[in-house]
Amino acid sequence: MTRRAQRLSFVLLVVAYGLSSYWVFTRSAPVIHQRPVTLHLAHWQLERGPPEGIEAVIKRYEELNPRVRVVQLLVPGGTIYPQWLRSNLVGETGPDLLEWGSWVAGTKDIPARYFAPLTAALVRPNPYNLGTSQEKIPWQDTFHDKLLAPRRDSPDPGQIYAVNITETTLRLFCNVKLMREIVGKVVVPKTYDDLRKILAQVATYSRRTGKRLSAIAGSRDTARAIAEPLFASPLLGVNQRMDEGGTLYLYNRQMLAGYLEHKWSYRDPAVKAGLQLVREVTQAMKPGFLQLRRDDAMLEFLRGEALFFFYGTWDATSLRRLATFEIQAMKLPPVTPDDPEVGRHIVGLGGEGIGETSLAMYLNKNSPHPEEALDFLRFLTSVPGNQIFTDKSLWLPAVNGVVDPEEIRNFRNYQQGISFGQAPYDALGTEVTMNWDRYFFALLGDQGSADRYAAALDVVGPAAMRADLTAEMRNSLLLVKPQDPMIVGWSGLAGDRARERREELEAAQTLSEGLVFQMKLTLDATDPRRAE
Amino acid sequence: MVLALKLPAAQSGTDPERIWTALANGRPNDVLRALRGGEGSRAEKLAWAAARIGGQPATDDHMRAAESVLAELARGDDELAAQAAYLRARIYQVHLSVPDYARAAELYGELARRWPGSHWSQQGLVKLAVLKLYVLPDSAAPDSDRLAPAEALLERISEPRLKRDLHLQIGQAGVVLHQPLARFLPHLVAADRIGGVSGTAREDLIVQIGVLSERSGLWSQAKDYFERYLAEYPTNVRAFTVKQKLDEATRRVAKGSGA
Repeated sequence: MTRRAQRLSFVLLVVAYGLSSYWVFTRSAPVIHQRPVTLHLAHWQLERGPPEGIEAVIKRYEELNPRVRVVQLLVPGGTIYPQWLRSNLVGETGPDLLEWGSWVAGTKDIPARYFAPLTAALVRPNPYNLGTSQEKIPWQDTFHDKLLAPRRDSPDPGQIYAVNITETTLRLFCNVKLMREIVGKVVVPKTYDDLRKILAQVATYSRRTGKRLSAIAGSRDTARAIAEPLFASPLLGVNQRMDEGGTLYLYNRQMLAGYLEHKWSYRDPAVKAGLQLVREVTQAMKPGFLQLRRDDAMLEFLRGEALFFFYGTWDATSLRRLATFEIQAMKLPPVTPDDPEVGRHIVGLGGEGIGETSLAMYLNKNSPHPEEALDFLRFLTSVPGNQIFTDKSLWLPAVNGVVDPEEIRNFRNYQQGISFGQAPYDALGTEVTMNWDRYFFALLGDQGSADRYAAALDVVGPAAMRADLTAEMRNSLLLVKPQDPMIVGWSGLAGDRARERREELEAAQTLSEGLVFQMKLTLDATDPRRAE
Repeated sequence: MVLALKLPAAQSGTDPERIWTALANGRPNDVLRALRGGEGSRAEKLAWAAARIGGQPATDDHMRAAESVLAELARGDDELAAQAAYLRARIYQVHLSVPDYARAAELYGELARRWPGSHWSQQGLVKLAVLKLYVLPDSAAPDSDRLAPAEALLERISEPRLKRDLHLQIGQAGVVLHQPLARFLPHLVAADRIGGVSGTAREDLIVQIGVLSERSGLWSQAKDYFERYLAEYPTNVRAFTVKQKLDEATRRVAKGSGA
């Protein structure tokens, strides 16, 4: 090689080294991530809104906490999430933070087995609320509903296992253009009977014009959503009768026990009146809707083939972004005492309460970073964190002090009235829910009726209620048993925190044990083998 | 008062704090791995037995193994012995695949006789009372007073927090056992007055006392509890109904009806 060529090679080497250094220090991501803690957060909210909202919160949190990286895992709901959840929790590979809901079939035992209670942290102010209206308020009281569902769904009375990110309710989304075409103007139904008349008008219009059109977009999911509040309307009187303890609230175990003790049945006139209302609205859906899911109903609505889409406000962002027509969100009108069909069974107006917070995030008991995970939950549900979430997702916030974006402000216009909590007669447990779906055909079509459906449910009811109450009892025991060694553990540790935790556990265990014995009492007293 | 039990680290080479923390955090299998075979100090044996009770798989053989260690520890005469005796009774009450309530009750009774002032003995009396309420009534007669045997045990409990837990149990049992309101409502009120009931249980208790007072015609008491409920839980779904009930109670109190 000549001297000149050598010099040129050296210059080229220096230039290449310089360019590489420039690129490495200014453009590329580090080969090894520098953050020592990585949190994983899993949920099934794949709709438009929440993934973007949570990602924005994560971005801000990571700016504030350079030690921590948060990874959002989007796992499809339906049948995938429960299986994914259980297999990962059993294998101790589960994410640090997870969404869970009591209605997710076959997962009732999960909280007691795999989640850590947040109660102790919730009684203290959230440090991320510093400088906001919620600064000195205990974390649990900064939520609009003070965490109603996590309290209700807790496997451990007195303990709270989750915090909620958003607030949702059910709304009747109306295709405004179609309403004008069918009714001549936009009519907001004030009573259920007003809605009944609109449903009839749609059927008439469809027959007259030959257009394939349903009054309500149909699917198994949306049918259940609209069935529950309507079904509950004539049941307020039954609920009042059932509420022997005077808590103005009915838990699943009470409804299951009540059925076994013959305090209610599907044949009761008021219950059948509820079923009649369910028949009316599901008859307004297209045939075969039971085979379809929520997304199918949404597409039917978006194609302009249904006047209404009834589901949660969690779908509002998707609807708003995908629809080519104007949408108006309306309340499902209440069934009133002057209703011509079922009015005699209506003892008062049912209420939506003040809206219930939801999208519950739980802390995995086996998380390697429980403190950091809890800290992220604090930020996510702080005034600034929840504001970021709601602005980006257009889902209502769960936290007081967060400003509702203009587009969704009217979602908070709740129907005031009597409520006994969920008191769901259709979804009291896995078996009861399966029967509801399995025999739903008996309510529909020319051959179906409330009488026929009620009779079918009452044939299979006793065995299903017994199975579900037994499962409730077993789930409570699943919680009670591990508490003994935990109490021993806390009693071995010194300090006020250990003493408080032991005392909390002891009190909660006694409460749960009392409930277990109450369920056992009912199961023993109503055992069919005993009667033989 | 419960004394923190000190594990002698030098004896077994294990970190006592880690052992108790693992138990407290619901990781009994970690403890079983650390304390192989349940040998070592008395405190280590207790920790091992507790972990054996909570560890998986939870077989009756494992429960028997834990019980034999606990029975040996219970022969002592200190707080640890009382705790071991309490855990032994718990095995019979909830941890065996087929519970033996009668044996559990016997062991709770023995515990109370040997260490009447111990926290574990007091806690055992609460558990014994719950057994008497639901599964071991002193009388099987349908019209017998099912609450009385539990009430008798109440007098032997001196820790206010445990007294509260038992009042609450008697009150709730009164509802499901269809006892007269006047028999069990005072227990719910007593539990509330002692204080410290938390979470949903507290919310339920406040509204429950209000409604049951209303049913008893104790309008002033009902009014107080409805007011408290609305002050503490203004946004709950029950608030609408409670407001209606408060209006009625206020009207009744103004008219001078009821207590």
